[in-house]
Amino acid sequence: MNILFVMKHRGNAGNTHAVANYIRVAPEYGHKVAMYGDPHPHLPELKFSRDVKSFDRAAYLFESEIYRLSRLEEVAMLDAIEKRHRMIFDMDGMYNPVTKVDGYDFNHATESESARWKEYYETLSDIVMKPMLARSDDPRVRPMIFYGYDPALEMKPEAAPAKKYDVMHLGHNWWRWRDVGGKLLPALEPVRDRIGEIALIGLWWDAPPPEGKDAGPEAAFQSDPALLKRLCIRTEPSVMYTDVVRTMSTAKINIFTQRPVLHHFKHITLKYFEIFYADTIPLLMLDPAIAEQVYGPSARELMLAENIGEKILDALARPGHYRDVVMTVRKHLAANNSYEKRMAELVSAIPD
Amino acid sequence: MRLLIVTSVDPWTRSVSTIHKWIDAGRALGHDIAVYGESDPDLPGLKFTTDLANVDLALFVVQVPSDFPDMPYLARVLDGIPKEKRAIVDLWGRYNDTIRVEHDFNHLEKLDGHQGWEWQEAIAAVSETILQPGLAPKRNDVKPFLFHGFDEGSIAKRYASAGEAAAAWKKKPYGLMYAGSNWQRWHQVRAFLEGYAQVREQAGIACLIGWDWNARPDWAVQKAIMGVDTDADFLAAQKVEVRHGVRFDEIVGLLGQAKFAPVIHRPLFRELGFVTNRTFETFYADTIPVLMLPEDFVAEIYGAAARKLVPSQGVASFVSDALRKPEPYWDAVLKTRTHLAAKHSYATRLEELKKAAGK
Repeated sequence: MNILFVMKHRGNAGNTHAVANYIRVAPEYGHKVAMYGDPHPHLPELKFSRDVKSFDRAAYLFESEIYRLSRLEEVAMLDAIEKRHRMIFDMDGMYNPVTKVDGYDFNHATESESARWKEYYETLSDIVMKPMLARSDDPRVRPMIFYGYDPALEMKPEAAPAKKYDVMHLGHNWWRWRDVGGKLLPALEPVRDRIGEIALIGLWWDAPPPEGKDAGPEAAFQSDPALLKRLCIRTEPSVMYTDVVRTMSTAKINIFTQRPVLHHFKHITLKYFEIFYADTIPLLMLDPAIAEQVYGPSARELMLAENIGEKILDALARPGHYRDVVMTVRKHLAANNSYEKRMAELVSAIPD
Repeated sequence: MRLLIVTSVDPWTRSVSTIHKWIDAGRALGHDIAVYGESDPDLPGLKFTTDLANVDLALFVVQVPSDFPDMPYLARVLDGIPKEKRAIVDLWGRYNDTIRVEHDFNHLEKLDGHQGWEWQEAIAAVSETILQPGLAPKRNDVKPFLFHGFDEGSIAKRYASAGEAAAAWKKKPYGLMYAGSNWQRWHQVRAFLEGYAQVREQAGIACLIGWDWNARPDWAVQKAIMGVDTDADFLAAQKVEVRHGVRFDEIVGLLGQAKFAPVIHRPLFRELGFVTNRTFETFYADTIPVLMLPEDFVAEIYGAAARKLVPSQGVASFVSDALRKPEPYWDAVLKTRTHLAAKHSYATRLEELKKAAGK
């Protein structure tokens, strides 16, 4: 099967990283995977193609915007790959009714916007894949964890960079302030003097995007630079997807938050897996049930729900214990989430 | 026959007039012909539909990228109508190797973002029935189909004889009127006006109607697109009246305010032997068309009588002779109209389309 992903590709985005893995694994199983577009010299691992006729399946991957080709390219794509051989990965839950979580994060601002997305999806494909575990009542919707776990990518302690930070949060400030600014930082404040360097890595922690409202809702980029300064929290630019694991490995602890609306939809994101490649102790601000399903029961020890400050201090004080937990989780992930398994799921999701 | 025309329509530009004639022809001939899309209040004369059921043929009419529908309409029409029930008419010669004639071209990435191969792939994706509005397409896999036609009922003013027409013609507010935007036509328009300068006092003032005749547009300057040139000083010296573009349904009436109306094809279309809407539409107007076209092309499209309307001895000679002896010229106009009605009606076009598409 020759599968062409049609998606916005960014070197610092998780979905691009996942597709790089599909591209890598596919030939071992007699398949070919590529991303639509012209080659990018700075992304040598990614195979790009615009030769749509050499593909027989199309996987459209949409995040918070509908990624479009030019009109001429769309004509060639739609003709080359018929509707029954197209699928859509709905990564940001846009193929859902209007959902606003606690008056904060949302998938659609209006009913008409939701209807527009629904119409677009249903016109393009009969298959909507959602990166989640639970089955849907909608026959069009199929669950499939898009991301996999490859033990070969685990950062070995002996290869890991020196630890520069005690605590890190790596990810863009896109609907994260409620968790980071509302829970994590207030919990750290009383114990701040007992913790070393803390860093927030990614875009928009210091300021919203310069594009203004065109970049998205103002609330999505909310931050408090004065609080960050008061707590001596360092902010650093985003890193390429190829540098994510190494960067996370520069911290003893990495905090994992999930965008609220995706948390609500129970979506499994790349970070669920990527964070366990790093030579670090992941502490998880996730839905406990979902975390346990993905990571196994030992992940309960890594949950960061209550007593956040004490939990972080405990992890810093007992790294050996937490490392054992991490090893157990890694084994669970490797046994259940290989990209080989994902590749088979991807192939079986699109009918002949 | 249920014919779906898939294209963009704009009251100010491109083939909107011809599309109206196709819709009218459908009504007159008992065929269901409609434009694919939602209705447009600016174009109340057009019939629109998004119903794809029982379509016998979807004819994609392509000039610019936006002539392919936007999503989700594009997916609906491509998924909903099988390829063998689709045809595409390539009005601007995109389905060719890249051609340059003077400053004119069929592909230019810096203008629309597309290379030649993208046009060719998109057109071939729509259908194996690829049509071009010329008598002799360059490629073997392209069939000739003129698309634009002549609707006898649209003639603005009918005359029983050339004498009657010539008598009615002598009093016009303008000597010359050209309607069309400044796109790859400046050199021809300038040459025409230079010739016309010698007879302007006798014939009357000239008028240019269309976009960008006053000044070279900023976008052309910024993108270094040649062929959108003009010379305001020259136009002023020639006392040329310049007007902005007008809606498609005002053109015929405006041309009728002038004694002469040149028919000028852009260099690319001359090279490809393509016709345009204006090729035929100018003969609806109450004016003498001046055919600035190759004589063999004129004879093939317009018939032998139209040779009289080609200024083979120069524009000044043509105009002064027509002013002195208008009857032979009007005789040529009336005979050409008869020829066009007989050979290029929309009923004929419909049959040609059916044949080309194997319907």
